[in-house]
Amino acid sequence: MISNRPSNIDDKRLRFDSFGKSSNEIFKDKKSRLPAMGWNSWNAFGSGNTEELTKAMAKKIKDLGLDKLGYKYVVLDDGCYRPERVEGRLQPDEVKFPSGFRSLADYIHSLDLKFGMYNDIGTKLCSGAEVGIYGYEKVDCEDYIRWDIDFIKVDNCYYMWDNATFADPTNAKYSYAPNIRGIAIDGEFKSAVKDAKITGTRAEIKDDYVTFIGTFDGTAPDHTPVGIRSSELIFEIESDKDRETDITVSYATGEEEGVGQWLQVAVGDEIFFDDMLPVTDSVTAFTDSAPIKISLKKGKNSIRIMNHRRQENTLHSYAEIKNELINAGGDKDIVFSICEWGKTQPQDWGHKVGDSWRILNDITFQVGADGDHGTAAWESDYTTSITSQYNKAVIMDEFAGPDKGWNDPDMLVIGMDGINETMNRSHMAMWCMLNSPLMLGMDLRRVEAGDFIHTLISDKDLIALDQDILGVQAKRIFTTYKCDAPDKEYIRNNKRIDVLAKPLADGSIALGFFNLDKAERNDNISISVDDIIAGIGHRMADSESFLKADSYTVRDLISKEEYNSTDRRFGIGNIAACDCKVYRITPAS
Amino acid sequence: MTTEEFIRDLCAAAGEDTEGVFLRGRREGWLEAEDELFATRSIARKNIARILHMYLLKVKKKPDLKNIDPAHELKDLYDCRICANHVAQIYCRGIMHARNLMRDGQFLWFDLEGESDDNEASEFIRRTLEI
Repeated sequence: MISNRPSNIDDKRLRFDSFGKSSNEIFKDKKSRLPAMGWNSWNAFGSGNTEELTKAMAKKIKDLGLDKLGYKYVVLDDGCYRPERVEGRLQPDEVKFPSGFRSLADYIHSLDLKFGMYNDIGTKLCSGAEVGIYGYEKVDCEDYIRWDIDFIKVDNCYYMWDNATFADPTNAKYSYAPNIRGIAIDGEFKSAVKDAKITGTRAEIKDDYVTFIGTFDGTAPDHTPVGIRSSELIFEIESDKDRETDITVSYATGEEEGVGQWLQVAVGDEIFFDDMLPVTDSVTAFTDSAPIKISLKKGKNSIRIMNHRRQENTLHSYAEIKNELINAGGDKDIVFSICEWGKTQPQDWGHKVGDSWRILNDITFQVGADGDHGTAAWESDYTTSITSQYNKAVIMDEFAGPDKGWNDPDMLVIGMDGINETMNRSHMAMWCMLNSPLMLGMDLRRVEAGDFIHTLISDKDLIALDQDILGVQAKRIFTTYKCDAPDKEYIRNNKRIDVLAKPLADGSIALGFFNLDKAERNDNISISVDDIIAGIGHRMADSESFLKADSYTVRDLISKEEYNSTDRRFGIGNIAACDCKVYRITPAS
Repeated sequence: MTTEEFIRDLCAAAGEDTEGVFLRGRREGWLEAEDELFATRSIARKNIARILHMYLLKVKKKPDLKNIDPAHELKDLYDCRICANHVAQIYCRGIMHARNLMRDGQFLWFDLEGESDDNEASEFIRRTLEI
């Protein structure tokens, strides 16, 4: 069941060249849906979650009326399984979940809530439990259907075909092409440096060869998700007729980030080679490959030297699980939450199989335990903060939508230590503007009806933005940080205010001003109706009516004040540290 | 040192009964099922950190340090999203130290998958129980 090499990918719909095609190309019945809402055990209890705690959370969701607001999914994260299979099958940790998963699912369903579980495309879960789904897709999905799940989150630790967390670092050999010095075709050597074109921004020239042919690792907040993320090396070859010929590739292999062993050779969209090359002595010990037969067409041909397997393998692994869930469960409605932490640019391919995809590593590593709230942060150098996640998600609006799926900047950290009420409020408003899944991550037993946390997570005005049926993620239309394209530029300097605009189904828009700075700011920012139309008009339900309105009803979604305005500009004068102002602006009549 | 030996040494140093420790530890929330199931395997440093951190939290009732910034100098801290907090808490409390790969101290790492010898492990236990 465990293979020693990535699967052959015979289905073109799983290939890089198909990533931009329709979301339901592979799974015809993939549902259009809004971001999932619920509770996940990880931020609250880490590996220490139990059946008793989960039941208490489900009951509290009902008691607080959170289910009526949309919080439906109760999801068990890592730490719930016995760490070794029994006769090849998953089992619950018998101390933490003594009644078993089906019994817990039945309890959660009896409350009219939905039940979610967790696994991992690798050989182990992130906790180290030796029950990853790799090689067990069929039996595990049968069990998930038997346990009556409605949601599955699938992680990426110990993955066989990438240098993912805990995986063998040398797995990078599958993720990158070798270093390439050139190709020989028709008896002529073509230099990778002088005669070829590099696409994207990942690959680079080093001495007389090209390296980093592949895609970025997006786990850390180092690289923008926008633009062409994968590099290829393209040789343009003229042919006077249709013909077959051989090429040899001058290459040197490695097994580290940037230099691999797996090569793909295509002409146009037809792949002629997709396999490992023999190992060389070092990453600069170049040798010639065996001849690779290709077909050329009369006229100009693009010979593509590439390796898109980092993305294709991961998509293939997730698709296999989705496929087995369908095989076992038919049309059972199961939300599929991809959690590969943005590593393989899932914004490109996640829509083909998943309902959401994590965009970065975790929002916090200081998770709680029973009796400990855990700790979150407003900002950090890594992914572990509200603004780290926001800064990437805010430029990813074009990837999201009901027919595609949702960017997932991780679970809410509301209620954890380390962030004050203002930060919590802005966090909730950000996630709602960004159409993020809203998964609570706190011990709900500490929440009382009407207290600050309950009021915030129950804010119908903000939830309505997240769950608006138009399903358009807010776009950043202005920032005080100097940049040319506020909707595209990856900005990590938090000394700024962002303005986000979000079209809504009833023809209104939400306009959010977010002070990322940990200091009060006094920038006078004024956004006109024309600015809004220029930024999001193409995605608005009725931009014409909005543009031509004589007046607007403006509802401050934070203070809950509402007023009519004939002013065609909306702005702020000053804003407290880490605070936000969010308005719902509706054209009158 | 195996996981079982480490847990027994911890119990012995703490004056706790080693009888039934695996079940007791799981119920108290400071041991995981894998500790019992894989008890005879060598214990990795990340698992020493996990057990000691959870022992502090669940048995000694010592709340987590909120500021784990000093642990950010560990190059491999975030290689392990599950054990990052365990490692950070134990490192910031001075219970386990980094391993230094370069003479100038510029590359500190925790060595998550590495092992510690018996003397080191005893010292980690002693420091934990002193807190």
